[in-house]
Amino acid sequence: MKKRLLALTLSLAMIVGIFAGCGKKDPDPTPTPDNSPVGNQETQKPENPPVENLTAVQQIIKEAEGMTWEELAQKAIEESKGKTFYGVGNSSRGKSALPLFIEALQAIDSSYTLEYEWQQPKNNKIFDQLTADGLKDTGTFAMTLIQDGNQIESKMVQTGVLDTFIPKAWAEANGTTADAVTGYLPLQTLNKVFMYNNQGSKTYTNCWDFVAEGEHGLFMDIDSEIVGKNFLYMLTREDYATWLKEAFEALPADKQSQFKTTIDAMASDAADLGLGENGKYALAWIKLWVESYNAQTDDGPICNTLVDKSATDQFGLLVYSKLRSVEESSSVSVNNINVAAYNEGYQGIGGYGYCHYLFVTDNSPLPWTACAFIYYMTCTVDGFSAWGKDMGGYSANPTVAEGTEAKYGHSKGGMSEDGTTVEFECKNDRGYQWWTTDGKLVLEDPEYCASVAFTVGSWIEMLTKYSAG
Amino acid sequence: MNERIGPNRWAIFRNKLKTYFSQPYNVILLLFGIVVTVTTIAPIVAILKDTFSIHPGTIDQHLTGQATGYTVVNYIDLFTSRMAKTNLWTPLWNTVLLAVGTCIVAILFGGIVAFLVTRTNMAWRKYISSIFIFPYIMPQWTLAVVWQNLFNSNAVTGTSNGLLASLFGINMPLWWCKGLFPSLMVLGLHYAPFAYILIGGIFRNMDANLEEAATILDTPRWKIAFRVTLPMVKPAILSTILLVFGSAMGSYPVPHYLGLTTLSTKYVSMNSKYTGEASILAIIMMIFGVVIMLMNQMSLKSRKSYTTVTGKSGQISKVNLGKLGKYIVALALVVVTFFTSIFPIVSFTFETFLPNPGDYSFLYTGNPDNLTTKWWVTDENVSENGMYGQKGILHNETIWKAFKGTMLVSIACALLAGTIGTLIGYAVSKNRRGRWANYVYNMAFLPYLMPSIAVGAAFFILFSQGSINLFNTYTALIIVGTIKYIPFASRTALNSMLQLSGEIEEAAIIQNVPWIKRMTRIIIPIQKSSIISGFMLPFMTCLRELSLFLLLCTQGFILSTTLDYFDEMGLYAFSSGINLILIITILVFNTLVNKLTGASLDEGIGG
Repeated sequence: MKKRLLALTLSLAMIVGIFAGCGKKDPDPTPTPDNSPVGNQETQKPENPPVENLTAVQQIIKEAEGMTWEELAQKAIEESKGKTFYGVGNSSRGKSALPLFIEALQAIDSSYTLEYEWQQPKNNKIFDQLTADGLKDTGTFAMTLIQDGNQIESKMVQTGVLDTFIPKAWAEANGTTADAVTGYLPLQTLNKVFMYNNQGSKTYTNCWDFVAEGEHGLFMDIDSEIVGKNFLYMLTREDYATWLKEAFEALPADKQSQFKTTIDAMASDAADLGLGENGKYALAWIKLWVESYNAQTDDGPICNTLVDKSATDQFGLLVYSKLRSVEESSSVSVNNINVAAYNEGYQGIGGYGYCHYLFVTDNSPLPWTACAFIYYMTCTVDGFSAWGKDMGGYSANPTVAEGTEAKYGHSKGGMSEDGTTVEFECKNDRGYQWWTTDGKLVLEDPEYCASVAFTVGSWIEMLTKYSAG
Repeated sequence: MNERIGPNRWAIFRNKLKTYFSQPYNVILLLFGIVVTVTTIAPIVAILKDTFSIHPGTIDQHLTGQATGYTVVNYIDLFTSRMAKTNLWTPLWNTVLLAVGTCIVAILFGGIVAFLVTRTNMAWRKYISSIFIFPYIMPQWTLAVVWQNLFNSNAVTGTSNGLLASLFGINMPLWWCKGLFPSLMVLGLHYAPFAYILIGGIFRNMDANLEEAATILDTPRWKIAFRVTLPMVKPAILSTILLVFGSAMGSYPVPHYLGLTTLSTKYVSMNSKYTGEASILAIIMMIFGVVIMLMNQMSLKSRKSYTTVTGKSGQISKVNLGKLGKYIVALALVVVTFFTSIFPIVSFTFETFLPNPGDYSFLYTGNPDNLTTKWWVTDENVSENGMYGQKGILHNETIWKAFKGTMLVSIACALLAGTIGTLIGYAVSKNRRGRWANYVYNMAFLPYLMPSIAVGAAFFILFSQGSINLFNTYTALIIVGTIKYIPFASRTALNSMLQLSGEIEEAAIIQNVPWIKRMTRIIIPIQKSSIISGFMLPFMTCLRELSLFLLLCTQGFILSTTLDYFDEMGLYAFSSGINLILIITILVFNTLVNKLTGASLDEGIGG
C-alpha cells in the first residue's frame, strides 16, 4: 500500500510538473567567464530614413537619442516598473550589469523594481535566436549585446531585426552627435593576442614565426567562433596586409626563404580576389595559419593549456582577459607565459580586436528601458564595471575608459601589492591605445568583412584545415 | 412490386465504424496514427522547405542575389562546388565509418561481456553486470573528455600533458588521441550496454539443447559458435545495429571533442554561412534513418523463425572457465570496467578539487595546498578567485535552474513517451497484421532511427516561425523528446504484449470489465517490468541528451547544454560536478524504481 501511495504521489508530482512547464518561456543565462574589451570602431550605418518610415521602436530610439540620463531613466521607470526584462548577449556580463542598472533607477525612484533574465547563447546561436524572436509582433528580448559585425550587418540590420541607439552622452564623449554617427554602437573592444608558454626554449619575435613549419597554434576554430574568421578577412585589407609585409621583411633571410614560395604562389589568387598590392602576404599568412592551427573549443582550454608548465613551446591566440582567472599552483602560473607583442623587438601583428555591439530589438517589448540600459552601460563607469573590472576590456566611450583605468588600474594589474615589484609581467595591460598602435592589433571592420565574406571567405574555406586526428 | 429491399450501405458503414471504434485499440491506433504522422512529417517538411529557401546573409543570397524566395542553388552548390568534398563527401564518409565502427565495438564488447555474464561461471557477475551499464548513464562526450585527459600530450597533441604523459611519460600516438579511432571507441563503449542488454537477454533465455546436440555430434566449438549460437543471437545483433547506427551518426559532441569531421559537426559549423546546405546535410542523415528502417523491415520479413528461443527450457549450460580462469577473466573485466565506469567518476570528483582545470599539481607534489573546495562552496562571484566569474556548484543558480529544467523535461518526456509508446505497443499487438497498425508502429519508430542532430534541426526550423515560435521553451524540448523516445516504450511494450495470451484479456471482456480496468488491473501489472523500462529509458536518455536539444535551446536551460557549455569553456570542475549530479540522479531514480517495482535497467541479466 505504501508503495502504491508513493508511486501515486510521484506520478501526480510528475504530471503537475509537466503542466507547470508547458508553455513556460524561459530563461537562463549561463554566466560566462569572459572578457571585456572595449574599443572605438567606425562602422557604416545606413542613411537615416524619413521619420514617417520609422518603426515604432525606431521612433522611440530617435526620441531617446536626444535625452539625458535622467530623462531616459524616467521613461524607463514608467515603462518597466514591476515588469520582466529579457536580454540576450554574447557576454554573460550583461547579467551582472542589470542589477547595477536597477540600482541606478532605484536611486531616482526608490519604489522601482524589475525582474530580469539574461541569456547567453553559444556557437552562433544568438543569430538564430534573435531571428526567431524577430518574427513575433512583440518580441521577448528587449535588447542584445552581440559580436561579429559581418553577420550583424547581413542577418540582423539589413533584415530589420535590430536597431541602433546612440546615447547622447556617448556621442558627446566621442565628439559627435547621434545623427552623425554612421556605425553601430560598440560597448567595448576585446582583444585576442598571441601568447606562448615560456618554459621551453622557443621565443616568438615575429608574427610569421607563428606560421612557420611545425608550428600549431592553439586557436578557437574559425567555424565555431566566426570573429576568428573575420580576423582573417581583415588581414587582407591593404593596411593590415602591409603590416604583414613589413613583418616579413624584418625576418632574417633564412626565415624569409621559408615563406617566399608560398607568398609568391599567392600573388595570382590575391589578384583574382581583387586584393591590394600586398594581398599576397595576407593570403600566405592565412593559408599557413589555417593549415596549421590546432582547433580548440574555446579560449578557456587554450589558456588552461598554456599556463601549465608542461605545455613547453606551445602558443595560442586567445582573449587576453583569460589570464585574470588563472590560480597559481605548483605547475600552473601566469608567469609560464609571455604575451608575444610585449617582447622587446617583436615584429608584426600582436593579435586582433573585435567589438561587442549593443542593439535594441525592432520588436522590443521595453524599448525605453532597453535604451536606458544601453545608456547606462556605455556612459557610466559603474554601468561598464561588469566588464571594466577585468583587464583586456576597452570601453568605446573615452570618458568611461579613462574612469575605468583610474578605478581599476589595469595597466598595473601585474604588480605586487607594494605597487613597484612586477609580479606578473603579462598582466600589466598596456591599454587600447598601445594595442592599436605599437601592439598592432588587427581591428574588425564589419563592412569590410561583409564585402569579402564570399570572396576571401570562400577562398579560406577551400584550404585544408590542420587536423590533429 | 419491382422494388427490392437492398442493403442500406450507410447503415452497414455506420455499423462497421461502430464496431471498429468499439475496440479501444482501434481508437488508440487512429488517434496516435494521426499524432505521430503529423509530428514526424511536419518537421521533415519544414527542413525540406528550408533547403530551398534563401537565407539572408548566407551563401544562397550571395549566389542568387536575392534576399528572399526559393532556389535550388543550395543543392547545386553542396553537390557540385569545389567545396563538395570538404562539406559533404568527407564528412559523409567519416560518419558512415563512425557509425559502422561504433556498432562493431558495441556489439563485440557488449556481446562478449553478455556471454561471459550469462553463459559462463565467471566470478563477480552481478557486480560486472551492474557496473557495465554506467557508460550509458553518463553523457557520451564525458568519456571523450576523460579520453583527452588521459591520453593528450604536449609532444603529440600539442596541448598540456594528460595523466598518462604526466605520470608515466607515455605519449600515445596521434591516431589514438584524435579522430576516428577514439570517437568510435568512446561511442562504442557508450552504446555497448545496448548490445549487452539485448544479446544478454537472448543468451540468458537461450535453450542450450541445440548447442549440446551439436557437441554430441562432435561439432567443433568454432562451428557451434558460428552455426548455432550466432544465428540465435542474430536478432539481438540486428536490434543493436538498429538502435546504435542512427544514434552514432547523429552524435555531435563526441566527434566534436575528438576532432572528427562528421555530418553532425559539419551541420553545426556550416549553419551560419551555409544554412540551406546544412539543412541538406540533415536531410541526408534522415535518409539514413529511413533506409535503416526499411532494412529492418526487410530483415523482419526474411528473418528465419528461431523458435528455439523460447525462454522456457531452463537448461542453460554454463561454460566452465576453470577454477582460476573464472577469476582471471573476471579480473580482466573488472579492470576494463574500472576504466570505462569507475575511473570517469573518480576523475570527475577529483577534477572538482583542482585549483585550475586540468592542473594535476597535487599528483606530482602530494601537497594538499594544490587542492581546493572553491568549485563547490564559493558563494559569490565578485572577487576574482580563478572561477571565471562563477559561483561554486552548490550556490550556482544557473546549474540548479538547469537541473530543475532537466528534471522537468525528463520526467515529462518519460511520462508522455512511456504512456504513448505503451499504448501504441498494446494497440499494435492487438492488431499485429493490420497495415495501419504497422504503419503507426513504424512511423512512431522513425524519429528514433533518425540522427538526433537532424531531428533537432528539423524541429528547430519548425518551431522558429512566426506562427509556431517555441525556440528555447521547455514545451519544445518536451515535444521533441517525447517524439524521439516513444520507440523505447512502444518497442518494449509491443514485445511484452505479444507474450501475453489473448485469453487473459478475453476472459475479462466476457466479464464486462471495462478497458481501463483491464489495462490497470490485468495487463499493466503482468508486464510492469517491461512497461517501466519503457518509462525509465526515455527518462535516463533525456537526462543527458545533448545532440537532440543542442539546437533547440540555449545553454543554462537544461543540464546537458550547461555541461557542454562548461566543457567547451574548459571549466572542467563545473562540468564534472554536473556529471556527478546526473549520475547520482539516475542512480537514485533507478534504485527507487527498482525498489518499488523490481524492474532494473540491466533486467537482471547478471542474475
